Amino acid sequence: MSTRKVQLVISPVEPHYVGDGFRVHNFIPGINELSMQRMSPFILMDYNSKFIFEPSETPKGVGVHPHRGFETVTIAYKGKVEHNDSSGGGGVIGEGDVQWMTAASGILHKEFHEKEWSKQGGEFQMVQLWINLPAKDKMSKPKYQAIQKADMSRYEIENNGGEIEIIAGEFNGIKGNASTFTPLHLYNARLKKGATVNFSFPEDYNTAMLVIEGNIKVNNSETAPTDHFVLMANDGKDFSVNAQDDAVVLVLSGEPINEPIAAHGPFVMNTRDELMQAFDDFNKGKFGYLEY
Amino acid sequence: MHNFRFTTFLTSNISSSENEIDYLLSRCKIKKVKKGEILLRPGEECKHSFFVESGLLRQFAIDDKGKEHIIQFAPENWFIADRSSVYFGEPSVYFIQALEESKVFLIEEQLFLQLSESDPGFLKSNLRLLHNHIRHLQKRIKQLLSDSAEERYLDFIKIYPDLTLRVPQVYIASYLGITPESLSRIRSELAGKNFTK
Repeated sequence: MSTRKVQLVISPVEPHYVGDGFRVHNFIPGINELSMQRMSPFILMDYNSKFIFEPSETPKGVGVHPHRGFETVTIAYKGKVEHNDSSGGGGVIGEGDVQWMTAASGILHKEFHEKEWSKQGGEFQMVQLWINLPAKDKMSKPKYQAIQKADMSRYEIENNGGEIEIIAGEFNGIKGNASTFTPLHLYNARLKKGATVNFSFPEDYNTAMLVIEGNIKVNNSETAPTDHFVLMANDGKDFSVNAQDDAVVLVLSGEPINEPIAAHGPFVMNTRDELMQAFDDFNKGKFGYLEY
Repeated sequence: MHNFRFTTFLTSNISSSENEIDYLLSRCKIKKVKKGEILLRPGEECKHSFFVESGLLRQFAIDDKGKEHIIQFAPENWFIADRSSVYFGEPSVYFIQALEESKVFLIEEQLFLQLSESDPGFLKSNLRLLHNHIRHLQKRIKQLLSDSAEERYLDFIKIYPDLTLRVPQVYIASYLGITPESLSRIRSELAGKNFTK
């Protein structure tokens, strides 16, 4: 057994708005230690901590924008989001659901609070992750994987300690539904107060946790309160998480993609030329067209 | 040498010695501006040329019906100034405004004149930059008078590849001299031609 230590517990920075519907704390890549290279394949994490949106007849959100070269994973804890894209696709991400969108060669979409939810308003809490694609898959065909809460793979923790929802990868032999391009694990650990759970990932996998609810203690030493980000070192495999209260923890661990990154705005490619090509393709309508 | 975009711009565009570029930099002020902040208003004298280190500025005029007309965008590595005011000393008829939180170098015209006198290399490079600007403006006038809106849009995205993602449609339409509806139509027609599901 080789213990993976906590490298850093990071407090959320001041939130900013993405459009008018997402009030997010950026962790990756805004925080110095959390560069795209350090956290690869997880190249962006925006966290809308629990926030009450007042009722609004006009749904709030973010207007038409493109993506190319990576996947976006939206994890809804509270609230509902509706999205539409330029190939006619669309859907609603409800509480507990996960939307795994492979933008790859290019998607043009918009994301808004779901119409009926928006009229009621209420607590809203979400994570958006960007997961990089290896060079060979960056220009593959876009696709969606909608993972409903009810269909999520689950591992029951002994002694009524809660459960691990496996979104992608594997936990104790149980596989998540999302298929991925490179090896990675993504879980929601929903822990009862006092429960302890052990995780083990290969040493070189970049690994972190985001505390969504409650307080946790890692390796029986460092504590991390709600809305904090725990960066794990790459010095071992195994670590334990103990729930100080009923807790929800997003756990992410993935094999780094060791390729050059050229990123600007909504495009993440390998070279500057590919980035310029992405802007040109977007400007010339190769991502399609959506009414603003 | 500082690691500014402005330093890189000067070393690659001005054939002066490192000492002279350092001197020029030491004489410039750097200003942080908030999104929306106005750097120049009509009636004022434009005291500086602005070089955009980071962020985005625009120069615009408002007509007597209250409509805005965008003359120029200045993202990173662009200069922007009202020449009639900064060089000829006339009161400005333009606004210069930050569209994003920006870092801007303020350069006094006097400094350009002084360096042009003392340093033939600087004079030559500065003339080249001014002629380049005149070329850009002549092309812009020609486009506004005789090119189709689609041709103007296609040139716009060559000059400013990322602005379609940084500024509202209505500003781009204003720069192109068309309505936002026409811009939508051009973009949707391009998508019709170029998009394959």
